[in-house]
Amino acid sequence: MRKPPGRDTFQALRVPAFGYVLAATLALALGAARVASAQPEELRPEERQAEALPDTDPNFGPLITIEDIRVAGNRTTAERIILRAVPIRQGEQLRAADPRLTNARFKVLALGFFRDVTVALEKGSARGRVILVVTVAERGTVVLNRLWYGTSSLAPYWLGLDLSERNFFGTGLLVGGGLVFADHAGVDGARDQWGGELRLGAAGIGGTRWGAHGALQAQRGSEVYRASGPPGSGDNDDLAAFPYRRMSVRGGPSFDLTPTLSFEADARIESIDADVPSGARTLDDGRSVPLDLDLRDGKSRVVSLAFGFDRDTRTDPVLPHDGSRIQAQLELGSELLGGDYDFVVALARYERWWPVRPRHALGLRVAGGAVIGDAPRFARIHVADVNRLLTPRVMGMTVAAAPPPDFLRTDNGDAVYGELGGNLIGEWSYRWFRRPKSIYGGDLFIAAGVWALASEDAVQAVGASGWNALPVDLVLDAGLRIDTELGIFEFTIANALGRVPRW
Amino acid sequence: MVIRGALLGLAMVATLAVRPAVADDERGLEKQTMKFTERGPAILLTGNVTSVFDARAYEKLENGLASTVVIRIWVYPENRARPTGFVLLHRQCVYDLWAEIYACALSGPGGRRTYKVKFRAEALKMLTALDQVAIADVKEVEVEERYVVAIVAELNPVSKETLAEVRRWLSEGSGGGLDRGGSFFGSFVSVFVNLKIPEADRVVRIRSQPFYRPRPKPAPARPREEP
Repeated sequence: MRKPPGRDTFQALRVPAFGYVLAATLALALGAARVASAQPEELRPEERQAEALPDTDPNFGPLITIEDIRVAGNRTTAERIILRAVPIRQGEQLRAADPRLTNARFKVLALGFFRDVTVALEKGSARGRVILVVTVAERGTVVLNRLWYGTSSLAPYWLGLDLSERNFFGTGLLVGGGLVFADHAGVDGARDQWGGELRLGAAGIGGTRWGAHGALQAQRGSEVYRASGPPGSGDNDDLAAFPYRRMSVRGGPSFDLTPTLSFEADARIESIDADVPSGARTLDDGRSVPLDLDLRDGKSRVVSLAFGFDRDTRTDPVLPHDGSRIQAQLELGSELLGGDYDFVVALARYERWWPVRPRHALGLRVAGGAVIGDAPRFARIHVADVNRLLTPRVMGMTVAAAPPPDFLRTDNGDAVYGELGGNLIGEWSYRWFRRPKSIYGGDLFIAAGVWALASEDAVQAVGASGWNALPVDLVLDAGLRIDTELGIFEFTIANALGRVPRW
Repeated sequence: MVIRGALLGLAMVATLAVRPAVADDERGLEKQTMKFTERGPAILLTGNVTSVFDARAYEKLENGLASTVVIRIWVYPENRARPTGFVLLHRQCVYDLWAEIYACALSGPGGRRTYKVKFRAEALKMLTALDQVAIADVKEVEVEERYVVAIVAELNPVSKETLAEVRRWLSEGSGGGLDRGGSFFGSFVSVFVNLKIPEADRVVRIRSQPFYRPRPKPAPARPREEP
């Protein structure tokens, strides 16, 4: 039996890479230890003995009536956008120490449109009446959400970006989109890939907790599959690709039950035009397995409804050290809705953080999903969804076909799409530094865990059973996360590996 | 080679960045000579956290909104990490725009008291003066052992929940369910004007001079009575 061509080469690359990573991690840890030992614990006592802030008394202070709420400093943002974020209404009577008054500043800041917000009271027209003055300083609201780039044996390069304007012409609307291009290499049937997306979103419509979102997405791609060779082969000669076009529109409402809990619903209509090959895949040992690429040949349609929720109690969404986040989504596609695919996709993700010592936290990340029925290929769980050491799909398009690193010697090389998959990752995070300005903070982390992806096709290809039938393997990562005034940056092994060719 | 270069660069950046981190910690510490007295079962502290106010914060005392100072006091044996005493004080003053007086509420282990003062300077004193504050039980403070007091005072602190809410939009997706390609982490970079509000308007960290409980003087010997 021929050896998987890419693996040895990958090992050769991986060992020195991990050596450097180990050296760098040790250097960072030693540096961090030096910082820790240089400062007596008493310098940072609040890190040792966290005490919740005492509740303020809402009945303290003089009784006032809000005669008017005035907004100043807004040049592009509509006044109504600001007013609806203020948790107090005109005519309301309350005490001057009511926490809602001090929180008003943060509620307006939470819109994400302002550099600074100040709130003050001024005398009104009669005794006891006051005017609430909210002064804002606007800021740029364009966000670079994603930067896609990399190279692989499948795509010599791919390049793209995703931008959003979170306060479109001061209306509070989110308008965003992305565009990506991927070159193609010498894989039979492959072609250049293009993808684009246009998004629209609105939160707090009419001052309510309801929001809405919608997106239009299009791809002209070529989907790669293994046509011959041993399981897990990444040799371009063993790969083939088929062209496809996808165009989808999705949209739905969202509802913020609390600041930390939101619900979302989505309807999706997608048109797929694919030139899907049929036949069989010839394995290296001469066996042949039927080729099932989980798509209708020619034109087909996906119509689905999805429901999801998101609960996020992490105190810092960027560099978390406590709290948790849970997200779940259930998508139901049916011929009854007018589509060509009957399926259910359930996905969930959970993470939780425990501060264990000053500056140290342990995190647990669990993600998983199940696909039931005849789901289209693109809705299934991709191996890069569960293994961060692999190149993630770019706007739903495959740009690399590297098999996952085989740490446990399980036959997981052929895992690409699956019906049941997930990962369980433990993470140690060290709070390296925190600062009030420019570079707000940096965390070092080391993560390790397991991933699994079960696929009927892979089982057939590998011809295995028992342990080998359920591809399970390790996932490791380590690096540095930095939260800065300019954005968020991550330097990790996984990010590096996902952007370079493995062979 | 790309990986090696990136990792070496990362290690170099990390090594360089270690030094300022130490400097920042040292710079944020204020030293203050405080007065310690022993009265009954308690060790009392007299000092202040006035430096938590700057000119702007002092001006804002008149804006009609509540100004809050949270003071945390720890008593440590010198060169040890475990505190022998901890006190949490919560102080709040709010200016009545119409009556032109300050209403203040001071809370601590001894309960809550309210005051009304006329002048802004008096309100500042209410918020920041530490006047004979009981910081530790005498039984917990060893005789002739050196102790220090560490104080962290925050002006208008913000709860962790509120801080998280302000930055919540960072983790919001683009709509339409779970992002399978990873969140902002996983895409290497997310660039925007990333503002982070501080955990309080101002924070000061103060350390006292070392102090100790002197050994009680032996009672003077009773003069012998002449026969």
